[in-house]
Amino acid sequence: MPGLSSGGGGGGVGTAVSSPPRPFRPSRYVPVSAATTFLVGSTSLFFCFTCPWLSDSVSPVVPIYIAVIFIFTLANFCMATFMDPGIFPRAEEDEDKEDDFRAPLYKTVEIKAIQVRMKWCSTCRFYRPPRCSHCSVCDNCVEDFDHHCPWVNNCIGRRNYRYFFLFLLSLTTHIIDVFSFGLVYVLNHRQQLDTPQAAVTMGVMCVAGLFFVPVAGLTGFHIVLVARGRTTNEQVTGKFRGGVNPFNKGCSRNISHILCRAQAPRYTGRPYMHQKMEVQPPFLRPSLTEAQLEAKILDNGIQNDRHSTRSKSSLDQMESQSADAEAPPPPKPDLQYSGLPPPDTEESSLLTEAPPTPSMFKYRLAYNSPGRNHSAISHSNKMIRGESLDSPCPSILKSSRQPSYRSEPSSLDGVTLVGGGVGVRRGGGERGKGSGGPGGAAGGVSGGVSGHSLTGRSYTSYPSSLVLSAAGSHSSSLRSAQTAHNPLATLQSEGTTDTSYKSLANQTPRNGSLSYDSLLSPSESPEFESAAHELSPQKPPGPFPSSAKAGQPRVVSPSSPLKGYTSPFLSAQIAQQREGQLLQGSATFSSPHRAYLRAVSPPPPTSPRPPEAQHLLQYGQDLSSRALRNTSSLSSSPGARSLEPPISPPPRGLSLSKSTAYTGETGSQYKLRPTGGGTMVVGGDVGGGHQAPHPPLPP
Amino acid sequence: MATEFHNLQELRRSASLANKVFIQRDYSEGTACRFQTKFPSELESRIERTLFEDTVKTLNTFYAEAEKIGGQSYLEGCLACATAYLIFLCMETRYEKVLKKIAKYIQEQNEKIYAPRGLLITDPIERGMRVIEVSIYEDRGSSGSSSGSSSVSGSTAR
Repeated sequence: MPGLSSGGGGGGVGTAVSSPPRPFRPSRYVPVSAATTFLVGSTSLFFCFTCPWLSDSVSPVVPIYIAVIFIFTLANFCMATFMDPGIFPRAEEDEDKEDDFRAPLYKTVEIKAIQVRMKWCSTCRFYRPPRCSHCSVCDNCVEDFDHHCPWVNNCIGRRNYRYFFLFLLSLTTHIIDVFSFGLVYVLNHRQQLDTPQAAVTMGVMCVAGLFFVPVAGLTGFHIVLVARGRTTNEQVTGKFRGGVNPFNKGCSRNISHILCRAQAPRYTGRPYMHQKMEVQPPFLRPSLTEAQLEAKILDNGIQNDRHSTRSKSSLDQMESQSADAEAPPPPKPDLQYSGLPPPDTEESSLLTEAPPTPSMFKYRLAYNSPGRNHSAISHSNKMIRGESLDSPCPSILKSSRQPSYRSEPSSLDGVTLVGGGVGVRRGGGERGKGSGGPGGAAGGVSGGVSGHSLTGRSYTSYPSSLVLSAAGSHSSSLRSAQTAHNPLATLQSEGTTDTSYKSLANQTPRNGSLSYDSLLSPSESPEFESAAHELSPQKPPGPFPSSAKAGQPRVVSPSSPLKGYTSPFLSAQIAQQREGQLLQGSATFSSPHRAYLRAVSPPPPTSPRPPEAQHLLQYGQDLSSRALRNTSSLSSSPGARSLEPPISPPPRGLSLSKSTAYTGETGSQYKLRPTGGGTMVVGGDVGGGHQAPHPPLPP
Repeated sequence: MATEFHNLQELRRSASLANKVFIQRDYSEGTACRFQTKFPSELESRIERTLFEDTVKTLNTFYAEAEKIGGQSYLEGCLACATAYLIFLCMETRYEKVLKKIAKYIQEQNEKIYAPRGLLITDPIERGMRVIEVSIYEDRGSSGSSSGSSSVSGSTAR
């Protein structure tokens, strides 16, 4: 009689209450009361009536021995009855957030190469650990659940199985002792069987004999279970029948496991020792390297190695590597999204097929779906952004991000290529600007929305591979054109940009964003100016007109992108020099400029920008503010105005056609942005003067 | 406790609970208490992998020590039997002693490593030793602004 529910009677039947306060059911206490009564009562009677003679006639040790066994039995009985068997507390709500409706009923876990199923307990709200079962009588999940014993009115589980087992052993022994010594008494008092003592003794013997059969049977059953390393539940349900029991450690080890194991702690009713920990921001962000590197790579589509994000050497590496803008996507960025639910990965896998910057799209997707679980990423992004002003990390982040931007220009034959490349993407991406918004923002994962977001947007906003390929081809064509025309300029630009980038990388952007403004901080102006000076004479004016019209602003760009970089720092003289050239190719620049402005608009400028930062190659949030500055600066210097367009690389695709219309026209710039509409006031200042002192940020 | 709450409220930049990560048990070796050392993805940007793994491995060591079947546990059992388990009223079991060590260790880890990173580890005993709960906190102050900006950017982009 395993006592699974027989003795329980009404106890527990139909107990649907899952809350701790269960209704009082007296029927539950009948078996345990009976057991207690029989045990204590019988033994007491035995002691009173039989033991005096035994101590006199046989030995005084006998009663003592029987007393010891009885006390041992009683102690184990009490432990088995009153000890918590290993009840699991109910799981809190936040633990089973994901495991509610869509969670499978079973979870499989491998224990010593054997598959064991863990069932979801709807009452306790967790997946039952192996060997755990929910007791319907007690309405609790019990660890290492054996059975619910009605004779002790308690579940037998991990914590009290030993006491139950010892209780059974000692009870069997006690029954045998009582019966034996009673028999001795009776045999010695055959003629005095009518005396009370004899009668009582015979009564006790009958009770003992009556209980001996089931108790001994149960004891033997549990001895076998212990030797096999099984629980009653497993035995009765036939879990390991014909199979291998992963919990079987061998007979002797199983026995020692039961008898010699340390007393397990209780999980319920523990003293509440909650130490309130103060979690006070700002928080450290240690894992910037990995995530940031991946983010950067994703943003630019330029495969930089991930080793040294923060070091200057990484910048060098990136710059040298960025020559190949279409490097295969790094496998690692996928890891960043390991936490994403499948839909994300599906989408990203689709996008990864786009040749130029698949990783960009993956990155984008993460942000396109705010409902996803990449809260960690978005959180980190937000945090990083938020922290950018506070924690020491942002500077590292920004510097680490900067190389990506810098490398672009250097790789793509100088600034122009970068602009061109970006513009291409921009043009393609304009359609998806809206979607790119968050993506772009997300792109600023590394912490700086500015530069990253822009490039990020350009990629992500145009998820179609077609556009990408078009963009890619454009960029490649431009690149080649660029190279053909100005190898020297390229070298020079690279050299200057390299130095400027490296130095810039080391400095923390003042405005807290990775905008191009920050890259071209005033401190760098001398370099830029000198570079501009060097480059300008080399730029053949010839290519300008042709390239401008041909939609190959690239040709113009050799100088113009440089100008773009250096625009804030170029003197009015230089600016005027360029003006003519720029105007020719300005159309192309306007669109990307607008595109950038639009892309950049979302992130609010967080820090003051240097007034000189008029470059069109805005990568970051400053774009809007930059536009403002551009406006003001442009108004002040007509030459500078023209600088605006040239800075931004001519957009490929859509923007190219529209770029021609740009010249001197405010509205044309807006045409460049199919999605943006005429909201790019900022861009407008390039052509027809400076409007909108306040660049309107498209909502 | 009240004072601590008060301090939290006084903070100019307070932290709010953003998410919880649950480190599940590792049952590959049986029902002995072990936790998975797999680094959860949600913590990737919050804490170094090595730090986290060290914490979990140390906890696993503690639990292994607590559950070790050896001389001490056997003697304890015998002593308990001999005293009819009355010894449990006076003496703390070995497991409880190790649990106290674990609690102290977790407290110390929280103070030194996790709280500065906006994380909190909850003693698994409070969860029935089924999971290690890692609470992820966000900076309420800055998260609000950054989320605002991101939403703005999202809307503008769109």
